[in-house]
Amino acid sequence: MKPISFLLIEDDLIETLKFNRVLDTLKIKHSVNRVENGEEALEFLKNTDEVPDVILLDLNMPKMNGIEFLKILKDDAVLKYIPAIILSTSNNQKDILECYKIGIAGYLMKPLKYEDYSLKIKNLVAYWSCNEFIKM
Amino acid sequence: MSAIDPEILQRALLREKKARKAAENILEEKSRELYSITQQLKEANEKLQSGLTEKTTELQGVFDNLVDAYVLMDLGGNVIKLNEAAKELFGYNVPKEAVNVVRLIYKEDFNYAMLSFNLLIETGSFSDYIARVYTKNKGVRWVHINASIIKNSKNKPIGAQGIVKDITDQRAIEEQNKKLVQDLEKSNEELAEYAHVVSHDLKSPLRSINALVNWLREDYKSILDAAGLENIRLIEQTLEKMEHLINGILNYSSVNNIAVLKHEAVDINSIIKEIENTIFIPKHIKIIKKQNLPIIKGDKTRLQQLFQNIISNAVNYIDKEIGIIKISFEDKSTHYLFEIKDNGIGIEKEYFDKIFKIFQSLGNNKNSTGIGLSIVKKIIEIYDGEIWLESEPKIGTSFFFTLKK
Repeated sequence: MKPISFLLIEDDLIETLKFNRVLDTLKIKHSVNRVENGEEALEFLKNTDEVPDVILLDLNMPKMNGIEFLKILKDDAVLKYIPAIILSTSNNQKDILECYKIGIAGYLMKPLKYEDYSLKIKNLVAYWSCNEFIKM
Repeated sequence: MSAIDPEILQRALLREKKARKAAENILEEKSRELYSITQQLKEANEKLQSGLTEKTTELQGVFDNLVDAYVLMDLGGNVIKLNEAAKELFGYNVPKEAVNVVRLIYKEDFNYAMLSFNLLIETGSFSDYIARVYTKNKGVRWVHINASIIKNSKNKPIGAQGIVKDITDQRAIEEQNKKLVQDLEKSNEELAEYAHVVSHDLKSPLRSINALVNWLREDYKSILDAAGLENIRLIEQTLEKMEHLINGILNYSSVNNIAVLKHEAVDINSIIKEIENTIFIPKHIKIIKKQNLPIIKGDKTRLQQLFQNIISNAVNYIDKEIGIIKISFEDKSTHYLFEIKDNGIGIEKEYFDKIFKIFQSLGNNKNSTGIGLSIVKKIIEIYDGEIWLESEPKIGTSFFFTLKK
């Protein structure tokens, strides 16, 4: 198991708190960069030296929505290799299909209960900790 | 010259007389024959004459009373005759006013009109010509025309006749209906989208509250007393109920989305098995199939929703020590009639209609949102069926519904 660097694209403050709280309970310290929307995410990715290992993306965001961001990401010659995982409230089949079509590494439904959420995120982190990433 | 025997003369005269008499007889007979033939001819002629008058009157009647406009023209397009309906439609008083059909053709339909006219000349007729015409008083009208060539006794074309129907209003209604259907489809689609967006927006705060309350309990475990913990539990319970409700609305609004419906063979037996694995069924409740259930053509998700809603209702409202939910069906030629019978608390007759309306939950069951049966009803309507129930309070309820084969 090794530390992962996440880019969390989430406009909701409490969702961000939830994610960080789950990560805080883990033995390994992962790094989380949080941006509030797609524009900020693109800005961040353009300027950072540290390309994240995994992108976690909320679908419903103000301004540029998740799917629009995903399209731009997957059109980029370099950034398209970063696995992107959707965190969404909606199990709208249309959205899910569209996301997999564009290219995602996972689609996670946010559950109502914090316990369930915590379990899902722990599993997700554990899974990606087992994976190798491209060094960019 | 010798003297002629008077006897010979006498005989000759007699012969002559006889011959003349015979000739007279023949003449008389012939003239009688002639008379009778003339008489017959006259009669026949009279009959013919009256027949012709009859036919002409009949034709005139048809011509006058024809609801549709009738136009008679020569091969040059000059209008020879218009019936009352045609005069009313086009506004020209033929023959007082001269008018050529070319003048009546709407500018943009001119090529189409010429093609149809050629067809008329070549094949002798055209039908279902639909285009616009100019009229004197009514502006541009949409018309439907069937036309044919008229020939004289020597089989030579001398003109053409057409039945013209004013379809302007009919077309307007058709256009309007088409637009209504389109609008309806669009608003249905928007509504489904809307439901997804709204449910997201409504669920997000619920998730946040749940997390915050959870943290309160975790972080302040040492200070919270029993009453405080109980309140937190009640908040969580309320949140769950709220989420249930939102999911229900989402399900209800997506039932209508016929575009995504599949049409496949669905085994109701396996549906029931799946429901038994999906919903929580306490040990004291048994689901019994009276016979092997049929295979139905439809959308599996919707059919499962249908059975699941009724069965989970039955499970929720069973108050007996041993609960029994019995499923059976009958083959009714075009439809299958299903019965799902339980021995639950029963429903008062006055609520029979109410329970199918959205948000009408009768009990205070925490799993009940009042949406389930309205979804059931919607699904049954998609499959051209009906639903009704029989129930006796305290004894149990039977839901009956039909589904098209």
